[in-house]
Amino acid sequence: MLTKLVDWLDERIRVKSLWKVMTERPIPGGSSWFYVLGATLAFIFVLQLTTGIFLAMYYAPTPDHAYASVKYIQEEAAFGGIVRGIHHWGATFMMVIVALHMLRVFVFGAYKKPREPVWLIGVGLITIVGGFAFTGYLLPWDQKAYWATVVGTNVAGTVPVAGGLLLRIVRGGDELGAFALSRFFAIHTYILPWTLALLAGLHIYILERAGAGGLWNAAQKVPDKSEPLFPNQIFKDSLFILLVFILLLSFALFAPAPLEPQADPTDTTYNPRPEWYFYFVFQMLRIFEGRFEVIGTVVIPNIVIFLLLLIPFLDRRPERSPRKRPFMMTAAAAAVIIVSALTIAGARAPIVGAPAVTSPSVLAGRVVFAKSGCVACHSIQGKGGTVGPDLTRVGSRRDAPWLARFLADPKAVNPGTIMPKPDITDQERQDLVNYLAGLK
Amino acid sequence: MIRAIVAVFAFIGAVLAIPLGGFGVLPVLKRKEPGWSDAGSYRDLPAGEPQERRFFEIVKKGWQEEKVERAVWLVRRLDGSVTVFSPSCPHLGCGYRWIPEEDRFKCPCHISVFDISGKVLGGPAPRPLDTLQARVEGNKVFVKFEVFQVGTSKKMVA
Repeated sequence: MLTKLVDWLDERIRVKSLWKVMTERPIPGGSSWFYVLGATLAFIFVLQLTTGIFLAMYYAPTPDHAYASVKYIQEEAAFGGIVRGIHHWGATFMMVIVALHMLRVFVFGAYKKPREPVWLIGVGLITIVGGFAFTGYLLPWDQKAYWATVVGTNVAGTVPVAGGLLLRIVRGGDELGAFALSRFFAIHTYILPWTLALLAGLHIYILERAGAGGLWNAAQKVPDKSEPLFPNQIFKDSLFILLVFILLLSFALFAPAPLEPQADPTDTTYNPRPEWYFYFVFQMLRIFEGRFEVIGTVVIPNIVIFLLLLIPFLDRRPERSPRKRPFMMTAAAAAVIIVSALTIAGARAPIVGAPAVTSPSVLAGRVVFAKSGCVACHSIQGKGGTVGPDLTRVGSRRDAPWLARFLADPKAVNPGTIMPKPDITDQERQDLVNYLAGLK
Repeated sequence: MIRAIVAVFAFIGAVLAIPLGGFGVLPVLKRKEPGWSDAGSYRDLPAGEPQERRFFEIVKKGWQEEKVERAVWLVRRLDGSVTVFSPSCPHLGCGYRWIPEEDRFKCPCHISVFDISGKVLGGPAPRPLDTLQARVEGNKVFVKFEVFQVGTSKKMVA
């Protein structure tokens, strides 16, 4: 049946020769587990496209509804948490595997003639993957999204001369708002996927034209050691993809994608942190301060991208064995060590006013405080009413049990108080107590 | 080996199809029991003469609570009870109207004709006008608004 269909198609559109072109690309030195990363990236991209399209069925890219729609996807819609989980963890996997893929190509010297164009496009692809991650996490419009994007877009503002204009264009105005969200959504869901698909297609196609690099010493070995892509390499690719898929699914099932409280532009207690794979950039901004900031935000990232683009032209010796390229291997090791060190330092960056942000309950309590009209009478850090006591340091005067009793029934604790009994649920009261007790 | 490769991707596809299919379809299949909406005063209803009433129903769609404008036909019977008709013709869903001179409901699309009790007197309508649940409380009429499938001889919630 299948053979008949293939024959029928072959007679008309010559599918057999197409299959040959696609699968008979020789790999010098034979198939290897080292070469599975590129195919895995293609797979994750398809996975991200699919889950992304489904998420778009319920997501609303406006500040009034974005958070509610993501909360609906995460908590109410059937399988929503899993689909969002795959998309969230898929992004993390993509970032990690894209870095490993580049490192592998670098160590194997595969960027050398005739594959320089493949490498150049690869560098472009990496910046696109980074752009995906950055534009993607504004979309839930939660605290992390909002604040990480405020900081991230301010980076554009540090560009000399054109910074102000650039910032307005990236943000869609002077503040993060409706235009920022809708343009991030457009970039994330229309511009970047098409660009990535086209460039990735080109990346694979010109690799086909230039020929795979394979193992560095394949030329010295028996030449017949060369092996076509199909079946052994594609088999290895498939098994590794299966492993990644199972791992990704486990993350989606057992580590739900986080969703913090809704974005609050007036919040002064929140400690903005990017996703962990951007910690190295975050840390760089902490190293270069004041007028040197532009070095961390603009100069170094551009030099890095420029250097990556130059690699195949700086290192033109045909020698590909890592053992005979000590300088390049040292550079690669140094890059890995620097990025890891910056990432670790970024992760351990001190949190300012720690108790106010460490637990989700405290964050939720802050929202309860803002929503329940407390600010009509009480002020915190100078904002709010003056009828009731100032609560800026209430945690140092009253402990949590007292606050809990008082908020449950103010008059039972202090018969003379004019404080009305708050109309909140037990959970909300608990969150509010945790928030207030942390104000010291 | 090609079988193993096909099996891997068939497996991944099948495993993905469950959450993706469920996520794409189940939330929109979920039916919510409609709530009671205030359709205005009871005393102002003329006996034996259908009256069109508009009101807002609070509809919760996933994350969005919307005020949706609804129109219904109210008929106060001579015994004082109230019959409420859905505003869509059961033939293909056009908005029909009451023609007082003829004492008939008529649909402008394919000229289905109904009497004041909703019975089909002519035209292609496959079933009588759809009634909605209603109750009178004090001077207020409350209606449970629902949408029914059109074109069928049986009345079914859409």
